[in-house]
Amino acid sequence: MMKKIEDLNYYELLEISPTASSQDIHKAYERIRRVYEPNSVALYSLFSSEETAAIHQRIEDAYRTLVYEDNRKRYDALLRLQNDLPEPLPAPSNYDRRQDQPALSPSDKRSLNEAEALPSPVEEPQKTREEAAPVPQFIAEFSGAAIKMLREQRGLSLRNIADISKVGIRYLELIEEENFQKLPVRAYTRGFLQLYAKVLGCDPQRVCDDYLKRFDAAREPKTK
Amino acid sequence: MIEIQDALRKKEIWAIGGGKGGIGKSLITGNIGIHLARLKKKVLLVDADLGGANLHTTLGIGVPEMTLSDFLNRRAENIQDVIIKTSIPNLSLISGAQDFLDAANPNFAQKTRLLRHLETLDADYILLDLGAGTSFNILDFFLFSDHGILVVLPEPTAIENAYRFIKSAFYRRFKKVVASQNIKDLIDAAMDQKNTMGIRTPYDLIERVKQMEREVGEILELEVLKFRPKLIVNQVRTKNDIQIGFSMKSACQKYFGINVEYLGYVEYDDCVWQSIRSKRPLAIEYPYSRPSRCIERIVHNLLRKEQLTASMLY
Repeated sequence: MMKKIEDLNYYELLEISPTASSQDIHKAYERIRRVYEPNSVALYSLFSSEETAAIHQRIEDAYRTLVYEDNRKRYDALLRLQNDLPEPLPAPSNYDRRQDQPALSPSDKRSLNEAEALPSPVEEPQKTREEAAPVPQFIAEFSGAAIKMLREQRGLSLRNIADISKVGIRYLELIEEENFQKLPVRAYTRGFLQLYAKVLGCDPQRVCDDYLKRFDAAREPKTK
Repeated sequence: MIEIQDALRKKEIWAIGGGKGGIGKSLITGNIGIHLARLKKKVLLVDADLGGANLHTTLGIGVPEMTLSDFLNRRAENIQDVIIKTSIPNLSLISGAQDFLDAANPNFAQKTRLLRHLETLDADYILLDLGAGTSFNILDFFLFSDHGILVVLPEPTAIENAYRFIKSAFYRRFKKVVASQNIKDLIDAAMDQKNTMGIRTPYDLIERVKQMEREVGEILELEVLKFRPKLIVNQVRTKNDIQIGFSMKSACQKYFGINVEYLGYVEYDDCVWQSIRSKRPLAIEYPYSRPSRCIERIVHNLLRKEQLTASMLY
């Protein structure tokens, strides 16, 4: 059965199975959003720029719905109502793929206890999805505090970010605290920032530019 | 291995097209042929580029005495008479037409005679090297084959033509399966991207056909599932270029609803240009070069009925 692109459900849009793990979702999202980015050469002559922008936005919505477990459960329930979930539903426990995650590095373990204390996203009250996608107007500059605020607004714990981005929680904390002296050298910090920004759905370039300006300003006097 | 052997027993016709000229169709066809012949398969290459034949040159053969024009103009009654042996064991060639106008635009009777004769030939594989463009002759050769292979370059011009080719082939296939003249007219009208009926995608077209005749719409839906062209990205220079194949696959799935198989890519290398300049086949002149290896991998994917998976990139 052929479907119009607007009618594809989020799983079909991201080209994954309804039983995909959060890692699979993240990988698929990374791949698909690159396919439908503006000016993508592979789409040339097939979709107009408005159509590409609309698909891109839907991919963002899909990711932000599926990557949070309780949002995904609600969405699955909706699909089931519409009889649009092709495969049998996984047991709820299947959603928890944390056991699949690679072992934590020693540096992560130091902050493991703190991380465990953080509320899991399931218990946390979720902000509506509509709010999540665009970068709020009030963020003029991506400082550590702004990034933290954005993360909290999206109902994500540091643990969630670490799971998806594979950046150690300690580094994420240092980024949010703007602990520039303890953060690693510029190149590594930049890499971590990019990964963090991607999980938040922000433009990595903008986040890096803003943040590294502050990073450079704080570090410069010492290097001279 | 047994599966491969089984796959090889039946004669298959592969057509290599792509819409745009100069994207390496002949080069890839010739070298796929050589790799297959090395696997001890009987291969016949047919230069179906009727207006601009040069498959013989990529194989290092001069202008042959007997060509497809002799067959089309009935100077040769049997297609066997225009087959020439190459210096490579198991590989033979029907060279393209060398004269102008007449052979470049065969009429319906000439075309059906050619296709009928091709089917009778004794070979494991018949590879049709198609010309550029989306003329009916080219589309018909593409649709006639068991496997249609599209070559594309990682450039907007080639990609645009590849999509146009897919769309044209697709709609021509639709026209062949419907009987009603009204629906044929509708398909013709839908080919115009700026049509006033609001039909932009094959999905829109099928919906409209369903409104007219439900069963015909359902037949077209089945045709969509059966149409599975294969894709080769030629002249890749970066990882992003390789990615274009996956992106096109995704876009075709979402836009046309068709399942394109990404067979593989061929890396860009000066040795390709050098082999053409020296008029010797790439697979013989530079058998261990990266482009030659890439083509070898494509042949293996074709034989095993496999395709590239996105996971290899991440």
